[in-house]
Amino acid sequence: MKKFRVTIWEPWLTVWGRVALATRRGFNALFTSSAHFSVILLVILLLIFLVPMIRRGGQAVVFRGTNEFRELQWDLHTRGDAEEIEAETRHVESLRAQFYQRLDQFKRGIDIAQRVDEAKQIYRAYGKELERRQVRGEEKRALRSKCRKVRDQFIDAMEETNADAAIEKLELVLTYRSDPEFQNTAVDDLFRQALDYKTIVKSIDLADREKYAKPLEEVQNALVLLWGPRPEESLPPLTQNRYGATRWDMAQKNLHTILYATEWVSQGDGQPLVKKEMRRDQSKTQFKGTPLESWFGDLEANVESMLNPRWTVYWQYFIDDSTPGHYFGGVGPEILGTLLLTLLAMAVAVPLGIISAAYLVECAGDNVVVKIIRTCVNTLAGVPSIVFGLFGLAFYILYLFPKLGLPPQKCILSASLTLAVLVLPVIIRASEEAIKSVPQTYKEASLALGAGRFRTFITVTLPAALPGILTGIILSLSRAAGETAPIMFTGAAALGPIPESITEPTRALSYGGYDLAVGDRLAMLVPHNQYGMVMTLITLVLLLNVIAIYLRSRMSKKLRGY
Amino acid sequence: MTRLQMETTKMDTYDLTPIVEPERNTEDTQIDMSVTRCSGTCAIISAQDFSLYYGSKAGVKEVSMDIVPCAVTAIIGPSGCGKSTFLRSINRMNDLIPHTRAEGRLEVNGHNVYDKRTNLVHLRQQVGMVFQKPNPFAKSIFDNIAYGPRLQGIRKKGELVQIVEECLLAAALWDEVKDDLQKSALALSGGQQQRLCIARALATRPKVLLMDEPCSALDPIATARIEDLIGQLKSAYTIVSVTHNMQQAARISEYTAFFCLGELIEYDKTSKLFTKPSKKQTEDYITGRFG
Repeated sequence: MKKFRVTIWEPWLTVWGRVALATRRGFNALFTSSAHFSVILLVILLLIFLVPMIRRGGQAVVFRGTNEFRELQWDLHTRGDAEEIEAETRHVESLRAQFYQRLDQFKRGIDIAQRVDEAKQIYRAYGKELERRQVRGEEKRALRSKCRKVRDQFIDAMEETNADAAIEKLELVLTYRSDPEFQNTAVDDLFRQALDYKTIVKSIDLADREKYAKPLEEVQNALVLLWGPRPEESLPPLTQNRYGATRWDMAQKNLHTILYATEWVSQGDGQPLVKKEMRRDQSKTQFKGTPLESWFGDLEANVESMLNPRWTVYWQYFIDDSTPGHYFGGVGPEILGTLLLTLLAMAVAVPLGIISAAYLVECAGDNVVVKIIRTCVNTLAGVPSIVFGLFGLAFYILYLFPKLGLPPQKCILSASLTLAVLVLPVIIRASEEAIKSVPQTYKEASLALGAGRFRTFITVTLPAALPGILTGIILSLSRAAGETAPIMFTGAAALGPIPESITEPTRALSYGGYDLAVGDRLAMLVPHNQYGMVMTLITLVLLLNVIAIYLRSRMSKKLRGY
Repeated sequence: MTRLQMETTKMDTYDLTPIVEPERNTEDTQIDMSVTRCSGTCAIISAQDFSLYYGSKAGVKEVSMDIVPCAVTAIIGPSGCGKSTFLRSINRMNDLIPHTRAEGRLEVNGHNVYDKRTNLVHLRQQVGMVFQKPNPFAKSIFDNIAYGPRLQGIRKKGELVQIVEECLLAAALWDEVKDDLQKSALALSGGQQQRLCIARALATRPKVLLMDEPCSALDPIATARIEDLIGQLKSAYTIVSVTHNMQQAARISEYTAFFCLGELIEYDKTSKLFTKPSKKQTEDYITGRFG
């Protein structure tokens, strides 16, 4: 950097001259430094916005996938090694079985109604057994009343809220265990349950057995989210409920729900409620002091081995269709939709735009009509895109399609025509500038050889203007690919099959991103899909731009000759 | 037969449609094809009280001169005197500038160039032009030169190759580019590009070559080569060259015209104009008292 050395003290400068010079130097430095500063600020802002998006969007493709994910891939798309997946599933299920067992055990312990029901059923079964063994009359009645007594005592013991009294009653029940009439019968089950119950009766708060019901249900629901439905249960109808946590980060969130209970505590009158979290195995209101206390700690320690997370690169994200609601799967149809819409819109707008620009530059006179046309084109370039969307709906779908015999519904055709109208002014403007900037000497050379005006335009002017036209195309490509408002009414659907023809609606990346953001509950469950969709859109547009820029630089090189 | 003689006879195989579309019901439509180029004193370009107006300002005022065929005519004069305007009027390149108006007669081979029936495409093919700054197309050397013949309808590759070779030889560029005719024309040096433009103008077999300060954008060595080239070409073409450089005019031309402020002051043989000019203004200009 050249420094302006002290020239302020030149003798021929007046005081005012010196002040002016100093001011000029100051402004010079200010200008340069503010230019540097703004570039740095721009880079920082870009990083702030882009880095988290890139990171989270990248998580849609590169993440730690659990065995649930691999199962899902096998079931839906037959991807992966079947044997390996099966072996893994078996191993994982065997580990999980213990946890299920302990949970079930506890559940049985507090589920009094079920036990009572079971006891009654045992009694009835015993009765049937007696009939089968053809015990009749007095004997039968005696045995049955004995069984009834045992049953009633058992029920009593179950409903007893004092632990010691309950144990006493259970002991009473168990004295009948050695009776020969009850051996190898259904009543065995009753005694087993009594023993079972004895083991847990000391550890739970019998008086408040009901209070365990709700937390237990919460834990069970969260466990379904974590591990999927139990192996012995029937498959739920919706695909999204059939698998547990397919991603490790989701699994950790589910684990957090299992381990922690949330409570909304009031801070006083008029104050907002505050969320308080407490660990379930350390809170008296949850499971502290119960046999389930150690369950949580064990789960936390072993959950990784029960889900087997491995780093996966799910590149099929860009190809796969998604289960309805974007719970599983990829954004393949969205990418297809966006590409179709964009390319179709460009195919309509670019020729129209170049021809219009050629007319405006070459053939149009200098009269009022042409000036009005130019003003209209320039104004249209700034119209909000929602206006174009409504225009597309009103003109194409409601007016034009019935006239042409097409069904008046949302479709790719109307959406891409709307997008074409959206980008047309930009292309016209850029092409006009490019064609105007072709030097007169190029045209003169061609005309002097006897070429007509059209020939000159095609062979000389247009190739020379092509870099500028490509710039207009690059700008409008990004706009067409990323706009949501024009396609909202005219062609985009949130769910639906891949379109078969251009008279059907389609899914698109921009609209899909909007839809996921608005459907709030779903977005909370699949944030990676939201970010993934947005990042895919950005990447797609970047790719298209890079291709166009490369083409433009090649053309510029040809025009420069080296 | 020398190559130039061969060129002259080959001329007969090209399209020599008259510049004006022949109309059956008007007289004086067929040009006399028996008039060959080297006919000595027959003027091909002839101006009779020709004026060209840009809006209301006159670019050239009532110019009358006959340009001698098969010779080099130089047009000299100070800046803004109408030399380029007059030159560009001959092949109607002034039409590109809006609001131009012509009065008087400007004839090429007897036909008024500014007639309404004039076919511009034919006119410009017969009257070729080379511009001040070399302006080759952004195509290969071959495509640059083949542009003119392709316009005339010559499509066969063999013919085009032949024409390209002849023109490059005539323009003294063949030896330098013969190895790679597909190279981009913009990769050549300035002097080479100007010779390429001359070759390109020759490809349409014009009768007249108009040169608008062809050497002003080139270095002295390239200038010398172009002047040599003009010397070689003059026996087959009528060359009219506008130049700022009086010494160049003295070197290359046989006839010189001196323009000043839109008017033709003097038009005479070069040797006479530069040694014993008949008008005082000419003498002042040549000796450098103004200009």
